[in-house]
Amino acid sequence: MRRYPLLFTVLLIAALVLVACPAPATAPATGGQEAAQPAAGGQEAAQAQEEMPKVIRIGAAVSETGRYAREGGDTRQGYILWMEWVNNEYGGIKVGDERYQVELILYDDESNPDTVTRLTEKLITEDKVQFLLGPYSSGLTKAASAISEKYQIIMVEGNGASDSLFERGFQYLFAVLTPASRYTQSGLKALADAGARSAVIAYKDSPFPKSVAQGAEQWAQEYGMEVLAVESYPADINDATALMAKFKELDPDVFVGAGHFVDGVLLARNAEEVDFTPKAFMLTVGPSNPEFVEELGKTSEQIIGPTQWERNMAWEGPYLGTAEEYAQRYEKRWGEPPTYQAAESTATALALQIAIEMAGTLETDAVRQALLDMDVVTFYGPINFDETGKNLAKPMGAIQIQDGQILVIAPEEAAVADLVYPMTPWKER
Amino acid sequence: MPFLQALLNGILVGGFYGFMVLGFSIIWGVMGIINLAHGEYVMVGAYFAWALFRAMGIDPFVSALLVFPVMFVVGYVLQWLLINRVVERPHLISLLLNFGLSISIANVYKLIYTADYRSVTVPYSGSFELAGFTLPTIKTAIFFAALAIMLALHLFLQHTRLGKAIRAAAQNKEAAKMVGMDIHRVYAATAGICIGLTAMAGAMVAPIQPISPFMGPLFTVKAFAITALGGLGRIPGALLGGLILGIVETLLTIYVPGVGAKVGTAVSFILLVFVLVTRPQGLLSGLRPVEEGA
Repeated sequence: MRRYPLLFTVLLIAALVLVACPAPATAPATGGQEAAQPAAGGQEAAQAQEEMPKVIRIGAAVSETGRYAREGGDTRQGYILWMEWVNNEYGGIKVGDERYQVELILYDDESNPDTVTRLTEKLITEDKVQFLLGPYSSGLTKAASAISEKYQIIMVEGNGASDSLFERGFQYLFAVLTPASRYTQSGLKALADAGARSAVIAYKDSPFPKSVAQGAEQWAQEYGMEVLAVESYPADINDATALMAKFKELDPDVFVGAGHFVDGVLLARNAEEVDFTPKAFMLTVGPSNPEFVEELGKTSEQIIGPTQWERNMAWEGPYLGTAEEYAQRYEKRWGEPPTYQAAESTATALALQIAIEMAGTLETDAVRQALLDMDVVTFYGPINFDETGKNLAKPMGAIQIQDGQILVIAPEEAAVADLVYPMTPWKER
Repeated sequence: MPFLQALLNGILVGGFYGFMVLGFSIIWGVMGIINLAHGEYVMVGAYFAWALFRAMGIDPFVSALLVFPVMFVVGYVLQWLLINRVVERPHLISLLLNFGLSISIANVYKLIYTADYRSVTVPYSGSFELAGFTLPTIKTAIFFAALAIMLALHLFLQHTRLGKAIRAAAQNKEAAKMVGMDIHRVYAATAGICIGLTAMAGAMVAPIQPISPFMGPLFTVKAFAITALGGLGRIPGALLGGLILGIVETLLTIYVPGVGAKVGTAVSFILLVFVLVTRPQGLLSGLRPVEEGA
């Protein structure tokens, strides 16, 4: 007991240190820090604001860190590319007879649903944005759009594909991308045509992969394949060898893995580890990204993936030119080729711009009506929203990694290479 | 045959678990402290391996050897400065202290490395065949490294002066003090060894798992379940507990349709509750967990 005062002091100091340490690092504070300095594009726009008083404020919370850091980075770059184009080249959005510069406010949602809702609320109530662009991933879009709907702010998004987003009766949410249930359609069709007769499906337990898996099951059956198993895995999975070992015993022709980049890499690695070699290996999100090839090397070879968009597709629109011209512009700006996540993000912002110009006003209901009436073709493909806000006009493609190249193999009209089927077993690589 | 292959996969995972849990188990057994920051030391080891691989292309297994002395010093100093001061206080205090440490470490790593997922891609990923079984190369290497380290630790505890002192402190603290041992120095050395071993496990796991600052808590929970299963502070107990968890997880994933992978992850919690209720001293009765009245 004699040492009690000393111990107490030490404990107190320790406690103070501990309280102080995590504080600046917790989510709200980091978000705040980030919030204090809008993205580079926003600052540029803010400077432009001094010369030009007419400004449209558009906001988005997009992952810069966390599970979706990669895909979120592409999303940001797509948004910023559009903003720079519309402000500097196009001369601002035409609203009636006037030109409006765009101020884009971007925050980092840390891939966290709590953070994305908080930041969306902040964008609406504090930053007073007039329109919102979507975050990356269906889960985060689901969270963020609940807030924008509450405040009746239009959110146009290009990175939340889950069909469940559009089954909630929301009035102010629009998505330019093809919904998740159709992701695997063209790929599975090509595989069925090549002779695949059975499939297994694994999906991450979150909204987008679930929709993909439900769709894949339906398409596989429609194209005459037997679905041998449908398995879900937890979002924080760190080992999938047991799952892959299970599939190995079932010996399917096709494996479909529905998830995002990180778990896609894990699934491919674990399949190789247990030597699970189906005749075709299909993963969502990962394969269409060049970083997937870097990460996995020879393991990535011949993996198939759905794609929303590729630069060699034949789309062309009045803004930003053809798909290839867009890709060149993107490469010039960011020093890397665009992923489809980047392209759809640019298309998202473009759709909002077109709607505002069609409406000729910034008033929410008029812009909403313009979005519903919209029927255009862009560098990204046709955009025509149905009454729930989905874009069913655009077909989905499929790619396969061949010699490190990401090549479109389906649908036929967009294909630049033939499907390699069956794929080379992991061990013979 | 499929069953035996599944069992083998489970054993490989379990061997790693047994190794990963050693530090947690020994700290608990020797000092009566539940180290809630355990998973964070795994994370630190994984980042160590990632950083060295990224910067200099150093193999994660080499990093595992390098990280031990570094984290030994960190563990020694942490114990000396912080935990020794509360080790004789009620358990809640050390629990809170370690909880605070775990949050601090994870968030400091988030500030330094951001919350991005990292991975280490080694050229020898893949598998090989042996007697009709498919063996994942990296996991097999981890398994045998784990066994070798466990053997080395066993010899150390049995045959060196410090090892004997650690066991003495675990068996009877008062008697150890009475014969003139500096118990706090022994504790600090114990913590150094344990945290060093934990970080080694982290470095080895780097090539097979995505690495992020918040990967720790899952390891801590598993360590808790394994230690409760196998008994405190004993190497065979840690290995047995690890093997049971690894095998149960794997078999559930394979034989429960639809949601097996999710059930497999949840099973460590269920096992923990089950063991605490039915056999609180663990399957192999280990060291006495807590002194009475504490």
